[in-house]
Amino acid sequence: MRDLFVAELRRFRICGLAAVLAQFVVLGFLARMVDLAQQPLLVYRVFGAVYAVAGLLLGLYQMGSYRRPNAWLNLLHRPLPAWRIALALCGAGIVWLALAVALPLVIIAALQHGMTARVVDLRHWLLPLAAWQLAAAGYLAGGYAMLANRRWSACGLVFLVWLLLADASGGAALAVQGLALVWLALLVGIAFKPDLAAPPRRAVATLATAVPVQMGAYLLLLLLGFGIEMLWIAQGSHPNNTATPPVGGHNEVERMAPAARLLAALSASRDAQAPLWREQIALSKVYALGVDVPWRLERNALTNHRPMGFEDAQRRVEWIFSHDRMRYEGHDLGTGKRHGELGVGSDDGAFPAPAMAAGTLPGLAEGDAVLIAGNTLYHYLSETAQVWPRLRLPTAELLLATTPVGEALVVQSDHALYLVDNGALAANEALVQPRLRLAIPGRQGDLRNIDLIELVDGYLVSFLFSNQSHELTGVAPYQSTWWWRDDGHATEVAHRALRFDYPAVYRYKAWWPSPALYALRVGAIGLFAAPDPLVATTPPPVPRSMWLLAGLLMLLSALGAGWLLRRAALSWPARAAWVIACGAIGLPALVSLYLLYREPT
Amino acid sequence: MNTPASDLVIETRALSKRYGRKLALDALDLAMARGQIHAIVGANGAGKSTLFRILLGFLPPSSGDARILGCDSRALAPADRGRIGFVNEEHTLPGWMRVEAVAAMQRHHYPRWNERAYAEVIGHYHVLPEQKVGQLSRGERAGFNLALALAQTPELLVLDEPTLGLDVVAKRAFLESLLYSNAMESCTVVYCSHQMEEVERVADNLIVLERGRLLSQSAPDDFRRRVSHWVADVPFQGPAPASIPGLLETRRLDGLHHYLVLDQDAGFADFLRAHGARSVQSMAVSLDRAVNAVLARNHAAPAATENAV
Amino acid sequence: MARTQALMIQIATGDPRPISKQIVDAVRLKIATAELEPGDQLPSVRGLAQQLTINPNTVAKAYAELTGEGWLEARQGLGLYVATPRQRLSNAERDRRLDEAISAFVHEVAALDYPPDKALARLDRALKVLAPRKTA
Repeated sequence: MRDLFVAELRRFRICGLAAVLAQFVVLGFLARMVDLAQQPLLVYRVFGAVYAVAGLLLGLYQMGSYRRPNAWLNLLHRPLPAWRIALALCGAGIVWLALAVALPLVIIAALQHGMTARVVDLRHWLLPLAAWQLAAAGYLAGGYAMLANRRWSACGLVFLVWLLLADASGGAALAVQGLALVWLALLVGIAFKPDLAAPPRRAVATLATAVPVQMGAYLLLLLLGFGIEMLWIAQGSHPNNTATPPVGGHNEVERMAPAARLLAALSASRDAQAPLWREQIALSKVYALGVDVPWRLERNALTNHRPMGFEDAQRRVEWIFSHDRMRYEGHDLGTGKRHGELGVGSDDGAFPAPAMAAGTLPGLAEGDAVLIAGNTLYHYLSETAQVWPRLRLPTAELLLATTPVGEALVVQSDHALYLVDNGALAANEALVQPRLRLAIPGRQGDLRNIDLIELVDGYLVSFLFSNQSHELTGVAPYQSTWWWRDDGHATEVAHRALRFDYPAVYRYKAWWPSPALYALRVGAIGLFAAPDPLVATTPPPVPRSMWLLAGLLMLLSALGAGWLLRRAALSWPARAAWVIACGAIGLPALVSLYLLYREPT
Repeated sequence: MNTPASDLVIETRALSKRYGRKLALDALDLAMARGQIHAIVGANGAGKSTLFRILLGFLPPSSGDARILGCDSRALAPADRGRIGFVNEEHTLPGWMRVEAVAAMQRHHYPRWNERAYAEVIGHYHVLPEQKVGQLSRGERAGFNLALALAQTPELLVLDEPTLGLDVVAKRAFLESLLYSNAMESCTVVYCSHQMEEVERVADNLIVLERGRLLSQSAPDDFRRRVSHWVADVPFQGPAPASIPGLLETRRLDGLHHYLVLDQDAGFADFLRAHGARSVQSMAVSLDRAVNAVLARNHAAPAATENAV
Repeated sequence: MARTQALMIQIATGDPRPISKQIVDAVRLKIATAELEPGDQLPSVRGLAQQLTINPNTVAKAYAELTGEGWLEARQGLGLYVATPRQRLSNAERDRRLDEAISAFVHEVAALDYPPDKALARLDRALKVLAPRKTA
């Protein structure tokens, strides 16, 4: 086995060393141009995709060179158990990936750590590991795709899709990757047998193969749905792309300008002042509130959805948030030299949560900045290079955005809107108390728009909840409009229920093909991940028609399984298990049964 | 040997392999005795490669049983594999490895490695230890492969078209190194080839396969004797081909009818005379001719012989 | 003391005669033409097989036939030697074999349509190779 491993290592020595060198040169070049530790999520995704694809290609190539019947016979026909041969070959591939993918990353991180004032946190040191795991997952998926029966061998790619979509962050993300790796290694081990085309025999192996095959079939069904949607769009009656949207639906409201949206929301109002407000809307500036923090920032997340730093143009300093220190680390924009640490208050205390710069506000001095961390709004003062907490929301809330509205500042959390007077903010550096609070009548994940105008005696605020209404996770769409008075009272003056623009069969297209696999998908994507309140929604119960559809498909799948199994060479318990599985899982299980046991032609 | 020596190295019972509607092996019953050189001949597509893949557990049979060295082919343990050498026509060895590294690897893998046998066979070839396998000529690679296989001291050595694509010199060298090797004495050899010249030289036992079925299994000379060549001077058409017993091939050359027939004795002369033959002569044929005639009879043939046999 | 005599024979594949028959014929011819003399040792089975690149079993079979017919004799542990003539076939067997050979010859020649005297002349010439033996 050692000989095989060493031979395989030697086999790839030239391309392996070339890859090490190439990556080192590319990373070195990029590290000169930018701070590789502070890139937007997309950049990390591109890197991850390159590693996974590189691994995939290696797996395809390496196993492809052995897959031909004679080569395979020559490899496996020897007095060694197949799994040890697999271990030798895959071990060599994975070692090369560690060298070619992880090693240059570690070296670049070490160089950045040792030779620059840039931040290198624990999470950055973990990136090479994540990169290697991604590459290894791609490698094993590629190897499996080459080795296993062509009818289902592509199912290893499901794990790469999983890693792309998984919510877990930091160490949990590494654990998810590790789990995917273990499963993929298991698949390769199962496939690594003399008769490559044969389906797995033992129950565990069948299960380990069938689940990804079914998930792959499920994904293909979704892709098929996507293709049909493309046809629907081309045909011209897709609600998103019609010249005029369907009347009374959420699409119509979503496409409106803020003022029109407010007017539409008010159309459901029986309030006596409604005509007056309509006039005001026509005359006033309509504020559309946006969000600075789309996802919750987690400490030690491997990547950030945008760079965790901000620039002080006055001092010519760039401050970068360090997850390890929970403080900002500064370096001079001109010389690159370290410029000290920046915490909360005069003694530079740690931030309670990862902080994110959220621009500036009217009335703040040049070079000042607003920082958001958890439930607290901080003010960075360039003059003293200090950070002071200015507004603290209840601990259960996450502060998401600030929008200046006239003389005031509207602060948005995931639960409520707050009103703070600009004057109070500008007056000193103390904590200010919000003057008004308005609970948001819905959940953050459903919330699509907040439109607001100033009234003489307060504000008119309209919320549109339709963010996910084209899907089964979204709430039944509605507009809720509030009269938010200066005296602290708030009343809902209009509640306008909107129609779904999409039929249930479209909205539940991820569910009815297989409720079980939908649940598995949700579970897999959320595995090891803390729930994010910023994407939480209030989905309505599944309509009865969809239950019927799903049930019918499950029943048909069970019947189809019985039919497919009539000639299969399987034991009775195995047949029964397949029929039950097809009944419980539905079409994708039937597809997997067909792929695994169809009579070879 | 750690297993009780069965008398049969290869045994199949009603072995069938179906690819869609095509039968590669058709209820094949084979029994190959230990301690001989068995040659398997058959036209392309006769199912020889399929048979070996099934025997080594690399393909599942559609039905029937296959046993090799007494073990079920579908459940070969690594130790069983160590007792079976296999050399295929492509000589698929890792082209990126050096000769010495491949030899070292096999030496570690095979507990009964025989370094002398390796040196003896490889000595016939101009192969340097530091050469990459990919740089060897086809003939050298074949010889190297044979050296590796013989050095494993296999109980059974399967050679699947080992000299395919080799030039005359390399073929001869391969055959010589095979026959000269002392390692050969202790093992049973299954030699599959299209080269009747080689088969004639090496085989104790000749197995003729056709379309997945066993046509004949006997000593080569016994098989050769079953086919005879008759020349008859028959006026006009001669007997209808369908009526000629055991007909393999018929031709009319210079007004004389030539018949290759299977399993016919002197009675065939009477048959020809009864059909108006003025003179009848018969002679023996070579093994090559006998095998080819038998294998060719069902191939696309002129209409006259379509219904023969 | 007899030493192993080189056996300068050729075999051809693709011949209607099997290889073992070719060896038998060649050895018989060599003995008949006195190229091999009584007491000469023949190559070992393995040696001749290697020389001809054939299966040793084929050589063994040929040697067994030659020994059975009395052309060769085995000496315990020493190998095979050309036997002295008296040990060969019985007269009856010789007659039978001669008839068989003549019949085969006639069958073959008949198809060739040579006048008998011409065929006989050629046969006579071919049989002359046995002459040295007769005069010896």
